[in-house]
Amino acid sequence: MAPPTDTSQPHFAPGCRWGGSETERMVLFPEGAIKIEGTGRRILEACDGERTFLDIVEELQANFSASDPARIRADVSSFLESLQQKRIIDY
Amino acid sequence: MSSHPLALIAEITHSCPLHCVYCSNPIEMTSRKSELSTAEWVRVFQEAAQLGVLHLHLTGGEPLARPDLVELVAAAQKAGLYTNLITSGLGLAEARLQQLVSAGLDHLQLSFQDSRADSANWIAGAKAQSHKIELAHAIRKHSLAFTVNLVVHRQNLDHLDEMIRFIEDLAPDRMEIANAQYYGWALANRAALMPTRSQVERSVAIIAEAEKRLACRIRIDSVVPDYYAQYPKACMGGWGRRLMLIDPAGKALPCHAAGVIPGLAFDSVRDHSLRWLWDESPAFRRFRGEDWMPEPCRSCERRAEDFGGCRCQAMLLTGDPNATDPACSKAPAHRLIEDVLQAGSTDSAQPVSASSFVQLQQQTLPLWTYRVNPK
Repeated sequence: MAPPTDTSQPHFAPGCRWGGSETERMVLFPEGAIKIEGTGRRILEACDGERTFLDIVEELQANFSASDPARIRADVSSFLESLQQKRIIDY
Repeated sequence: MSSHPLALIAEITHSCPLHCVYCSNPIEMTSRKSELSTAEWVRVFQEAAQLGVLHLHLTGGEPLARPDLVELVAAAQKAGLYTNLITSGLGLAEARLQQLVSAGLDHLQLSFQDSRADSANWIAGAKAQSHKIELAHAIRKHSLAFTVNLVVHRQNLDHLDEMIRFIEDLAPDRMEIANAQYYGWALANRAALMPTRSQVERSVAIIAEAEKRLACRIRIDSVVPDYYAQYPKACMGGWGRRLMLIDPAGKALPCHAAGVIPGLAFDSVRDHSLRWLWDESPAFRRFRGEDWMPEPCRSCERRAEDFGGCRCQAMLLTGDPNATDPACSKAPAHRLIEDVLQAGSTDSAQPVSASSFVQLQQQTLPLWTYRVNPK
């Protein structure tokens, strides 16, 4: 499957959801769990099925204006694509 | 050592409408009248969540045989557990499925015995196939994770490719292709179930091809037969390290098959907290860590990966639960495994159908013994 496009609306795949505590956020899915912190957590919290991939990228680019915008876009794209391959995120 | 279990396996009943010849339940099963009550299970789920357990696997027997299943799922969800129902699907109509989803069920794992109805019904000892297919379509209309589980063995491995395509049409998120594990009923029926080496080799190639074809659509998890592996499986992720199993009567076990180990007493949730059972109960401490290990495990560089293999398999095959798992190629008793593989015939049997279960039992007798229900 392809990486997300600008209009993709990433969201959790069926049966995947947040768990753990506020200080130790986990993503729970069938037979597993991943601890998510930092930027990864920010990206996933924005994957509400409403915001588009472009919205999420632009929000991060605004928050990290010192970093290369193209790099941020590529990182978010590959992060979401890897979670799509694990059947945790759909878009 | 983990300070708490990550997953709780709740065998809520041993009753089941199927009679699968590879069932992992113990031969000696718990009677319905000694099962935990709804309130007792709810307390177990709350304690589990407080202990740090993330996943709850509701299994059996057939968990749908418990009339309070919806209530149990709701309680698990309320406690914060990620709840998985492992089921044959028998006894699940659309209305109850809707209730389970509304109660917060996260994941449903539906078992299939084969793609071919005659063979599936023969292996399960019950006419279940058409209902399962109908149910799979109904499940897909709901938003929850859906896994199809298929147990493979000598009698169905020759058409693995066909079975994978059959499952693909059911559109699960995930498929689990698990070789039978030789405990309980499967061990009793091992001669009829053990795959041949060529079946195993072909199946590895077929699964690799399917993984590539289905990438991003259906995740495949496969369990290899440990009799053919070079090293043993890290059974339960290590004794008392990640998993706790509660049997229908409330006994806490480190593994499904732990009841076969002589001299091991299992304490109950009726008398103790989950915290005590995990930290202090003799059953969980018995093989935790490395102190119990004999050679060659004790000095083996893989001891922190496979933990000496499976204690129950060591007991069942060598008579000594402290022995290195004979599935390991370095085990002193590895010869036992090689002998079994050499003795295996290469022929598969033909599916049999009969008008009653008693007749089916009689007609398949030299081949295998069906799982029967607890008294």
